[in-house]
Amino acid sequence: MAFSCKNSSKFNGFSSCIKMVMVGTSAIMMQQRTLAMEASLCVKKSKKKGADSVTRPNSQISAAMAAVTPLLLLLLLSSAPSFSSGSRNAYNINGRVKIPQGLGLGTKGYALPGRMSNVKVLLNGGQNITFLRPDGYFSFHNIPAGTHLIEVSAIGYFFSPVRVDVSARNPGKVQAALTENRKGLSELVLEPLREEQYYEIREPFSIMSLLKSPMGLMVGFMLAVAFLMPKLVENMDPEEMRRAQEEMRSQGVPSLSSLLPGGARN
Amino acid sequence: MAIRSFFLFILFFSSSLSPVFSLYEDQVGLMDWHQQYIGKVKQAVFSSQRAGRKRVVVSTEENVIASLDLRHGEIFWRHLLGADDVIDGIDIGLGKYVITLSSGGSILRSWNLPDGQMVWESSLQGPKHSKSFLLVPTNLKFDKDNVLVVFSNGRLHAISCIDGEVLWKKDFEAESFEVQQVIQPPGSDLIYVVGFAASYQFEMYQINAKNGELLKHESASFSSGFSGEVSLVSTETVVALDSTGSILLTISFQDGKISSQQTPISNLVEDSLGPAVIIPSSVSGIFAIKTDAVTVFIRVIGEGKLEVVEKTTHEIAVSDALSISEDQQAFALIQHASSEIHLTVKLAHDWDGNLLKESVKMDRQRGLVHKVFINNYIRTDRSYGFRVLIVMEDHSLLLLQQGEIVWSREDGLASIIDVTTSELPVERNGVSVAKVEHNLFEWLKGHMLKLKGTLMLASPEDMAAIQSMRLKSSEKSKMTRDHNGFRKLLIVLTRAGKLFALHTGDGRIVWSHLLRSLHKSEACQSPIGLNLYQWQVPHHHAMDENPSVLVVSRCGPSSDTPGVLSFVDTYTGKELSSLSLDHAVVQVIPLPYTDSTEQRLHLLINADKHAHLYPKTSEALSIFKREFLNIYWYSVEDQNGIIKGHALKCKCTGEVADEFCFDTRDLWSVVFPSESEKIVATVTRKLNEVVHTQAKVVADQDVMYKYISRNLLFVATVAPKGSGEIGSVTPEESWLVAYLIDTVTGRILHRVTHHGSQGPVHAVFSENWVVYHYFNLRAHRYEMSVIEIYDQSRADNIDVWKLVLGKHNLTSPISLFSRPEVITKSQSYFFTHSLKAIAVTSTAKGITSKQLLLGTIGDQVLALDKRFLDPRRTVNPTQAEKEEGIIPLTDSLPIIPQSYVTHALRVEGLRACTFKDI
Repeated sequence: MAFSCKNSSKFNGFSSCIKMVMVGTSAIMMQQRTLAMEASLCVKKSKKKGADSVTRPNSQISAAMAAVTPLLLLLLLSSAPSFSSGSRNAYNINGRVKIPQGLGLGTKGYALPGRMSNVKVLLNGGQNITFLRPDGYFSFHNIPAGTHLIEVSAIGYFFSPVRVDVSARNPGKVQAALTENRKGLSELVLEPLREEQYYEIREPFSIMSLLKSPMGLMVGFMLAVAFLMPKLVENMDPEEMRRAQEEMRSQGVPSLSSLLPGGARN
Repeated sequence: MAIRSFFLFILFFSSSLSPVFSLYEDQVGLMDWHQQYIGKVKQAVFSSQRAGRKRVVVSTEENVIASLDLRHGEIFWRHLLGADDVIDGIDIGLGKYVITLSSGGSILRSWNLPDGQMVWESSLQGPKHSKSFLLVPTNLKFDKDNVLVVFSNGRLHAISCIDGEVLWKKDFEAESFEVQQVIQPPGSDLIYVVGFAASYQFEMYQINAKNGELLKHESASFSSGFSGEVSLVSTETVVALDSTGSILLTISFQDGKISSQQTPISNLVEDSLGPAVIIPSSVSGIFAIKTDAVTVFIRVIGEGKLEVVEKTTHEIAVSDALSISEDQQAFALIQHASSEIHLTVKLAHDWDGNLLKESVKMDRQRGLVHKVFINNYIRTDRSYGFRVLIVMEDHSLLLLQQGEIVWSREDGLASIIDVTTSELPVERNGVSVAKVEHNLFEWLKGHMLKLKGTLMLASPEDMAAIQSMRLKSSEKSKMTRDHNGFRKLLIVLTRAGKLFALHTGDGRIVWSHLLRSLHKSEACQSPIGLNLYQWQVPHHHAMDENPSVLVVSRCGPSSDTPGVLSFVDTYTGKELSSLSLDHAVVQVIPLPYTDSTEQRLHLLINADKHAHLYPKTSEALSIFKREFLNIYWYSVEDQNGIIKGHALKCKCTGEVADEFCFDTRDLWSVVFPSESEKIVATVTRKLNEVVHTQAKVVADQDVMYKYISRNLLFVATVAPKGSGEIGSVTPEESWLVAYLIDTVTGRILHRVTHHGSQGPVHAVFSENWVVYHYFNLRAHRYEMSVIEIYDQSRADNIDVWKLVLGKHNLTSPISLFSRPEVITKSQSYFFTHSLKAIAVTSTAKGITSKQLLLGTIGDQVLALDKRFLDPRRTVNPTQAEKEEGIIPLTDSLPIIPQSYVTHALRVEGLRACTFKDI
């Protein structure tokens, strides 16, 4: 939840999100501008006041904007940079886990909300553990500057660990990369690389599987011979048929007697 | 081997071992079982929802927060927090949110009660460390929003219950102020924060709950000082003890004025009791003090006057107060009486009248009652009924209602210290084997169900019925030994000092026994179980003798406290005998020798490096003397970075002649430079591992001899800077060095450095190879490496002529003192996940192919074929190598979801996995 807007890059985050909402009515837009101003102001104030009070400027914002809170908050959050400075050398890491809905497993048997509640986010091999909010956001508090590793444990999904650099010099800088494929992330939104299927899938009973079995194939072949072969003869061109019959006649009917050594003389 | 939120998951390979052992979903539970535990309950809150299923939310010492079904004790949901995220307090807010305060009061989370989804999380900071309190006032509102009051880290916060916003906060920065209680009198807008300053000053702050404004601050000094906790007897009165523990101070701060009353305990109780402590409770008007022998309940009658209401020498447990109506509070009291416990529920203002008095038969193996939680319900005749949740000494959780135990949970199994196995009894004649279906109808019904199952027409209930039918007909849960030795008893030692025997077939508890030797006593103040060893495994007398295990424990947390041994029969669970030792136990070495009764010889090393032989019989001594010169062991001092090798020297030269005590000598030592290396992991082979083939035939008809020695030690060291968490160092200043050391001679057989790598290191050693897992800082990924070690001295034996002419050295004795000619091969691969544990499969004759069992950070267990960790893998294997089964080299190890042996389940809080021989 927490973010700070004391440096310029963060403020960019704000303005971009405001642009996104600009499609809405101008009145809302105006409101937001003032809100953004308020937010930046309040952060400046609190920065003077104390070290860690910076961590929750959102409280002031949301208190100020009761009307458009839900939509705007979400937008602000999603575009807000992932770091904010807490006290002098401790930072907060904020991010989001996004599990695509309706993907294969999700529709099959499992209740998705229950699964979301069992997702864990682990920092540096279990040094800190946190859980997801209903909208998928998570945050780690009081993290020292340096390089960190974030892992997501969710049954049914394979997440790549994420390398996160928390820079002490410019606290707004986002540096995150998937370690599996070295893909950089512009914001800390973690999505599963693939789903994990823990069981062999039992083929459901179907006519096709029955037909594909060796027995089915044999039966099928026999049926084909019994019913299709006569049809082949039927569909033959009458001309052709006649010619073939004549040919056979000219050669003589291969009778048993002709086959016998004595019959050849007749 | 200890497993937290419970893990015992033994995988049985069927006799026809297939290379892929994936399962269909409906086969889960046929060969495996999965049990869930939560640990010893610290705090319980009953959900007061009228509708829906009744729940109780608990927090435990294992950092678990769970919601349990009050009818059956099943887990609705549970979450295991991080290892240092200790839960300080839980409560239910607005009837639908579970609020938890953890990490020393710095993290406040809210969970949805029905499904356990986290709703919000707040990080609370403060100026200094302090006790933390979580209050959920029912009637304190702030803009239509319910408010939570949290005191943590020297700061008082008011937090919105809906979204976790901090509404106001107030610092208590006075240097020496130690908060003792935070009180919110119901029906008022005030918050009282009371505590001690400089250990003799009583401080009271009165705060406006609406805005955090300080209304009043009063203090009074008490020359005698304070000790221990305070007990709250009303919303404006606390009782404390002075520093000697003999005078009771009743301090009331009504209307912001502090007035006090001192009452020596000796005035209340005639006979002197010695220093007392206050039992923390929140029953209004009554508090309890406890001395060594006696528990005294004292009532406060206005104006600081005290009166003793009951004095008891029984072990007693009191619950917190439960308000049952506007002005009535009830609490529960449990007293022990031999094999029963007496439960009484009383009203706070009326000690003599009992609302409820019941006696419940209690298994003695559960020990004493440690905690009581009370809840009420309204019976059909509109009177109050009470149900009581109790936590026992063995960490089990029981629900009592109407004089009966409604359900019980064996949550001691959440904190396992050690596991060993025991054979089951041999099948004797007269034991019926198979049970046939009773009648034709049953038989038909069964087959109809099975048919439905195969046609995929079965409903979930039908599937469950089919599953249970299959289970019943399977032989795996029988109580006798089978031919292949698949069925075994798992003997499990828990942190509570209880020994359990579980059947490997279905995981049921065969017997459980609270060890008497692990009970608190005069001589042994805080006994801790350490290890389990197989003491006696009868083979020749298997028909008439029972196997037994040795439980090694010690009397305190430090390693120089005296040890305790106890011997337990594994069939009956009876404690055969126990020994209180006069020396400490630092190391236990099971020797590979047994005496004529098949008792295994054990060598116990104490803190002064003396070795003690057990069992103390002359026969054992004579066996031991024969092998006197062949016994070597090593010790690791990871603080100093020293590994030492030891051997026996002579009989002890102490003043008391003890022929079972031996002096030892140091043979060698490896000292790692402390400025550049720090020991992070040491691993050896399993003592009882069997290696089937000594040699490996490689593709080009060549033979490589495995270097198999029981005395190989794998040691991993890292740069001292890099021993911290991941990311705390740059790759340039971090490295990891892996050693293979011979523990008899101290010779370093192999040494390899991984630059830019750091721990934590998890390693497993088997046969002639070691696999270890570490973090590569340059690639920022985890890596796994394998080292295989081969014997070169026997490589010449492949010449047939030498074999024919008898010029081979196969029969020459192998001594570790001769210089071994070894070569090693190694390779490294990337691996995705962090690991918590690593183990390897092993079988009785060592003929099956090896699978690595990796306990991942996601609390799953992944089986990985050892062939993926073969140092001879190349990018393009030749045809011959392919035939041998060498897999083409890839930079990372594959994770095949079907080879998770835990399937779609999670073993929360996995600490170690173990694979027992079958």
